[in-house]
Amino acid sequence: MNQLDTKRKDKIALKSIFMNGIIKENPVLVLLLGTCPTLAVTTSAVNGLGMGISTMIVLIFSNVFISIFKNIIPSRVRIPAYIVIIAGFVTVVGFVVKAYAPGIDKALGIFLPLIVVNCIILGRAEMFASRKSVLESTFDGAGMGIGFTLALLLIGTTRELLGSGMIFGISITSSLIEPMGIFLMPPGGFFVFGCMIALVNKIMKTKKITPKQEMGCAGCPSSASCNLSTVQEDLEKNKSEGDK
Amino acid sequence: MKEILIILMSVIIVDNFVLSKFLGICPFLGVSKKLNAAVGMSLAVTFVMIIATAVTYPIYKFLLVQYNLEYLQTIVFILVIASLVQLVEIILKKYVPILQRSLGIYLPLITTNCAVLGVTLLNIKDEYTYIQSLVNSLGAGLGFLLAMVLFSGIRQRIEHNNIPLSFKGVPSILIAASIVALSFMGFGGVIEGLFI
Amino acid sequence: MGLFKDLYINDSLIVASSPHRVSDVTTSKIMRDVIIGLSPALIMSTFNFGFQVLAMASVCIAACIAFEAGFQYITKRTHTTNDLSAVVTGLILAFNLPPTLPYWMAITGCFVAIVIVKQIFGGIGQNFANPAATARIVLLLSFTNSMTTWAKPSIPLFGVPAIDAVTSATPLMLFSNGQLTELPAKIDLLLGFTGGSLGETSGIAFLIGGTYLIIRKIILPAIPMAFLGTMIVFSLLIGIDPAFQIFAGGAMLGAFFMATDYATTPITTKGKIVFGIGCGLITMLIRVYGSLPEGVSFAILFMNILTPHIDNFFQGRLYGRSSK
Repeated sequence: MNQLDTKRKDKIALKSIFMNGIIKENPVLVLLLGTCPTLAVTTSAVNGLGMGISTMIVLIFSNVFISIFKNIIPSRVRIPAYIVIIAGFVTVVGFVVKAYAPGIDKALGIFLPLIVVNCIILGRAEMFASRKSVLESTFDGAGMGIGFTLALLLIGTTRELLGSGMIFGISITSSLIEPMGIFLMPPGGFFVFGCMIALVNKIMKTKKITPKQEMGCAGCPSSASCNLSTVQEDLEKNKSEGDK
Repeated sequence: MKEILIILMSVIIVDNFVLSKFLGICPFLGVSKKLNAAVGMSLAVTFVMIIATAVTYPIYKFLLVQYNLEYLQTIVFILVIASLVQLVEIILKKYVPILQRSLGIYLPLITTNCAVLGVTLLNIKDEYTYIQSLVNSLGAGLGFLLAMVLFSGIRQRIEHNNIPLSFKGVPSILIAASIVALSFMGFGGVIEGLFI
Repeated sequence: MGLFKDLYINDSLIVASSPHRVSDVTTSKIMRDVIIGLSPALIMSTFNFGFQVLAMASVCIAACIAFEAGFQYITKRTHTTNDLSAVVTGLILAFNLPPTLPYWMAITGCFVAIVIVKQIFGGIGQNFANPAATARIVLLLSFTNSMTTWAKPSIPLFGVPAIDAVTSATPLMLFSNGQLTELPAKIDLLLGFTGGSLGETSGIAFLIGGTYLIIRKIILPAIPMAFLGTMIVFSLLIGIDPAFQIFAGGAMLGAFFMATDYATTPITTKGKIVFGIGCGLITMLIRVYGSLPEGVSFAILFMNILTPHIDNFFQGRLYGRSSK
């Protein structure tokens, strides 16, 4: 009886970790991390999908790896160690993409290797994988990765539809009305992203969750060591909001 | 000489790192609120970009390429940048404490910054020479500075505005950024036209 | 004592807090004057392009009013459409569009101008970017083909509407392509007998309207003079015709009616002069060296973004901050 109970509790805990990364703590739309690739690669749905999946694979593998070795890596060199591990996986994933999806590789350009500095991965390594079990880290990586991918897919589809009348290259409205090219350009990226976050804010308000007021400094892995006054203010604010 | 000027001016205005290439968004949105922080951050970024380029470029050309180890580019570059930042911090603290006090606090933020790794990768990808790479990095940093300074003015301007609740905070900042990005789009061709 | 009581009861002694001297200038009065200032150009444009002009202007004005009222209704804010600022934005935006632009695109532009540039940032007086200039840029970048199809006005007068959209190059496009011998005669430019957007073609009309605004003290001459003056000096320095430059394209419209928008331009006179010079300089750089034929909107938007710093420089205090 007790064994069944603990097994069910574990399953529920894992499920909540998984869903957390998708909705409640969606890395892009809620935690406001990983904004560079979000703006840069969402010019089409398929690019967003490609980037999301690549990042998720790196995230899962690095989370698992770091969780396995968390007791071996000395604390003083943990950030450089994490960076090496993540960079290793990024290199591997980069080659896989180059081999099997060269179109995506070309479209994503330097943002594929730049996955290594994606705050989400280093952040989750620091805050989750270095403390929790391998299984939990796997689910966390998967959840966050899927959340990231979904956000990119959402923004990418919107921009592609409005900017070229197509989704995944399939013409939807492009033959009916002239599409608004600006959505494929940098201003369009900022704009769609801003509107998405406004939408998320509105939804969170109706569910009575307070939205984040500042950009991702507090989620950045170096925030604890950073002496920047604005970062410390953010940390204080988040702490006080968390206590509420 | 002309080519160098064209590279420099283009990456500052037309191909701006933040507003056109989307590199360095995190500090751009996070640190642009106060002018002092914006300037300090940008100068630190420029500094690290130039030094990172100065070190990573020869490592790539004379080490990685020679031994067919190009695939190690990502790992090597990011490690170099991370160690470089630590080193710079230590040197500054010991020999130029004034700089350490004003720029030093931004340095850890820059390690995991896509702008610095981005510029080192782009220099190789765009096949610049050593001098051109250094100029490109200088321009990237100055462009970052320009974007930060301009944006900090706007942020001060809209700080107390009566913005609708859903858009208050981050969304309004992003939409303001989109308008700033718009303003940079008119300069296409101006740099070439001026120098050629 | 009795005297005071009499005065008080007779309402001639009013107890109130400061300010005690209130001018009777309201936003709607200012806007009314701006509309009057724009009417010579509207008439001249209708003359040149036909009743299409009035149709486009009406569509833009109606859309702007609708969007402003709609936004304020949805967000439960006080309605300000009475201040006529939406009308002015619609009219100025219409002047920036080619006469053959599909109406739905013009309406999209109105949405950008009113909802995105103005209302989301807090409404009148709080926007940092010129609504019409930004909207024009967005339309230009989004619908490049439709925004660069220009109609040549047919023989005007006696009401034969010119909906004959003969695609011809505007004078600025000719200049940009180096076809200097095909530029229209100056008299044509002044009186608007050339191709272009609705407002690009009535140099003299905008000059008249702008002078009216200066006489009525709605705007200071600082910005238009600095704007156009810089363009003239630049033209002389590199050896091109200055009169052509200031009458072709949107320079007149921009200098008098767009670069003088209260909310988005510097407060101090010195700041205004710097603003005007910057606009003129950027306009000429884009026109002469850049790939776009016209730079007025981009110049105004870029200087709008510099405005907080210009104000800070000349005032020592950025908007919104109480102390350093």
